[in-house]
Amino acid sequence: MASEPSTQSRPTGSTALWNRSTISRARTVLERLRNALLYSSTYLALVAAAEVALVMIVLSLPVNLSPLVVGLVTFAVYVNDRLADLEIDEAVAPNRTAFVRRHQRVLYVAGAIAYGVAVALAVSGGPLAFGLTLLPGAFWVLYALDYFAALGSQIRRLKEVLIVNSAVVALAWSVTIVGMPMAFTNAPITPTAGVLFGYLFLATFVNTEIPNVPDVESDAAAGVSTLPVVVGVRRTRQSLYGVVLLTLGLIAYAVLRGLLVPAAALALLAGLACLVTTIAFLGRSDAERRLAISAELSRVPALGVLVLVTVGL
Amino acid sequence: MIPLTVLKAALICTVAIGMVGGLIAWRERPTPGSVPLAVLLAGQCWWSVTLLFRIDAVGIAAKGFWVDVSWVGIAVIPVAWLFFSLEYSGYHEYVQPRYVAVASIVPLCIAVIGATNTAHELMYVHSTLVEINGATMLDRTPGPWFWIAAGYTYLLGLLGTIPLLELITSDVLAFRAQSLALIVGIVVPWLTNVLYLLGALPTYGVDPTPIGFAVSGVAYLGALTRFRLFGTNPAPIRYARRLAFDRMEEGAIVLDSNGYVVELNDRAATFLRTDPDDILGRAFADALPQVAGIVDCAGPNDRMVLEADDGTRAYDVSACSIVDYTGRTIGRSITLHDVSAHLRRQRRLTVLNRVFRHNVRTTTQLILGCASEIDDDAGRIADRIEGHAMAIEELSEKVRRAIDLFDRDRADRRPLPLDSILCDAIDSARDARPAVSVDYDGVPDDVYVDELLTVVFEDLIENAAEHNTTADPAPRIRIDVRSGEPEVDVVRVVVADNGPGIDDEELAVLEEGAETPLRHGSGIGLSLITWGIDIVGGRIEFADADPTGTIATVEVPIRSRPP
Repeated sequence: MASEPSTQSRPTGSTALWNRSTISRARTVLERLRNALLYSSTYLALVAAAEVALVMIVLSLPVNLSPLVVGLVTFAVYVNDRLADLEIDEAVAPNRTAFVRRHQRVLYVAGAIAYGVAVALAVSGGPLAFGLTLLPGAFWVLYALDYFAALGSQIRRLKEVLIVNSAVVALAWSVTIVGMPMAFTNAPITPTAGVLFGYLFLATFVNTEIPNVPDVESDAAAGVSTLPVVVGVRRTRQSLYGVVLLTLGLIAYAVLRGLLVPAAALALLAGLACLVTTIAFLGRSDAERRLAISAELSRVPALGVLVLVTVGL
Repeated sequence: MIPLTVLKAALICTVAIGMVGGLIAWRERPTPGSVPLAVLLAGQCWWSVTLLFRIDAVGIAAKGFWVDVSWVGIAVIPVAWLFFSLEYSGYHEYVQPRYVAVASIVPLCIAVIGATNTAHELMYVHSTLVEINGATMLDRTPGPWFWIAAGYTYLLGLLGTIPLLELITSDVLAFRAQSLALIVGIVVPWLTNVLYLLGALPTYGVDPTPIGFAVSGVAYLGALTRFRLFGTNPAPIRYARRLAFDRMEEGAIVLDSNGYVVELNDRAATFLRTDPDDILGRAFADALPQVAGIVDCAGPNDRMVLEADDGTRAYDVSACSIVDYTGRTIGRSITLHDVSAHLRRQRRLTVLNRVFRHNVRTTTQLILGCASEIDDDAGRIADRIEGHAMAIEELSEKVRRAIDLFDRDRADRRPLPLDSILCDAIDSARDARPAVSVDYDGVPDDVYVDELLTVVFEDLIENAAEHNTTADPAPRIRIDVRSGEPEVDVVRVVVADNGPGIDDEELAVLEEGAETPLRHGSGIGLSLITWGIDIVGGRIEFADADPTGTIATVEVPIRSRPP
């Protein structure tokens, strides 16, 4: 008996080829998008905006433009940082450096537009918001002028001093992320705002030290004192656990004093849990760059939990 | 009155544009004009920001505060404008820290006095709140320093406009869009400010000039980057011109309309062994009497030659009038071209001419005389000596022709009928080689060419005849003339022979135009032909004839018939 032709026809040679090429094209597009998002630091801008949104929800501030402003400023600052440190980054992040080098002009113009728009929007938030936004621009110009190199041995030394370097970065971002939405809404400084500042300061400090682990050799060669350089990777892990414990204590204190509602505390704890997981893999995983990114993204789940809990409630 | 929200939106856009433009201009460093432009945009940004804060501020004190501190940005703008204009248009000599410092003294005072107005009220003498279309706005009565600031701003604005206008009206801007960008950049902010001061703008008493400066900044930024894209940033043009003037091979002296020396390049100073500082600003006749004597006394067609006192150097002097765009003579330019080497060569040629014309010819005649007295076996040795002596005589004749040719290169040459030149050359060839038959159909009488071609065609036809010594085929030369080919004012003469042809090596040397010890021609005849044609501005090509021989195609300009 002759067999009936199957109704489920297999793809012909040309259809299979077409499917394969479509898939590979889609994969290329996705890969490019991922690279653009990662290497241009757009994801950091989104993270910063998410952190501002978290602050706004926790402090019950009215909707305003501050997440957008902080996101744009973050993008501009990081793009400028990537462009300024092209030579230094060559050895530690070759793929990112290649991307930035290739798109130098576009990135600079995009950074300038982001910053210009951020400053203009910040004006609508009042003088304090404007001042907060202006600060990175002043650093931008000074950096380009190489004033840091000229004045600079003191500032350079500051950047090379153990803990201080990470603390300065953490301080700058915490002030901006908590201060910007408050400036936009003329909100008074409250103990809850203080708790959020402390939480973000400690978490950002941990974030900043995590990428130092893969850079331990290059930092040691350059004479930069980071925790992994001075105390080693294992002790660094332990120290960062200590910082997380401190943060945990801060959250517990805030809950006990009624400064944080349970939903907010839960959200902050979720963020902290992500951070702890990342720390646990430090020195134990080969995907060190991914660990750094995961630490930077650790506040996003916090916002997700907060939104879910708030909407659910 | 426009809605207040529109005005605020415009100011917010101005801030954004100013910031973006400023940062992009900052990146363009060290492109001329980029830093002052970034400063200008920063100033207008601050001005716009303070205007926004002033609109939103509540109460007379708060509004007054923002007006006062706005002067920090306002004061920066005219200085930045002036130095942008100077730097961009290439006046770098004025863009020096000391000039910037001097130009910034008044703005510094303006900024300090403006920011501390409440203490002395020098900037504003009276402030009050007024309702305009439902919005509470600040109305202030200007004090003396306000008008000083306005006057100084307009002064610097005007000064900065001059080089930009100069740039627009010059021929250095190849693209209309770029000129348009500069015009927009100049007109918009000042027009906005004038209209505001005249009270013609419905802006709630708020000065919208920073919006004008934002437009201006974007226009300039476009000009700055577009010029760079096209590789025609105009800043170096002034320097290039100066450099060309200073470095040119000729000495150059520029006189104004009153005959005073206003410019002198280094080469002229070296030629005349003088110091420019001693010459500049003095009357031409007094400062450089030797040059002035030649220039002022020469007729319109006289050749002016200045010879140094010691006779070692000589200069061709030429003078031309400098006219402005209306055709009015505004000065004269005198150029000195060093012709010392040329004159030296000319003197040497004169000596060589004499040697060949007299000494070689006389010596050859003596040899011929002596040879005729030799009584040898059937006179064979005497014949050989005579033959060689005649060859020397022939060669010296050609060298004399070459020297004549070079002499005629300098002299004014007459036009002669081509037909008579060719007929003379054919007669001369027939006299020398009676066995050669020449076919020539003649040329119309009105075709005139340079008289120098007499030597050329004599040699060309003689050359065709003398190398054709075989009896079979019989030596034959064909001359064809086509007037008006390949162009109307050109005549083509084709001389074809059936001789042995020209050696490839010889042709290669002629085409290259230069000889080396290892690669050279066999004589001077063909060189003489190519040199002559070169001097009259013609061209010659050689080709092989079929089955044997050479076809020489000469194209020379037709000259007008003499009156």
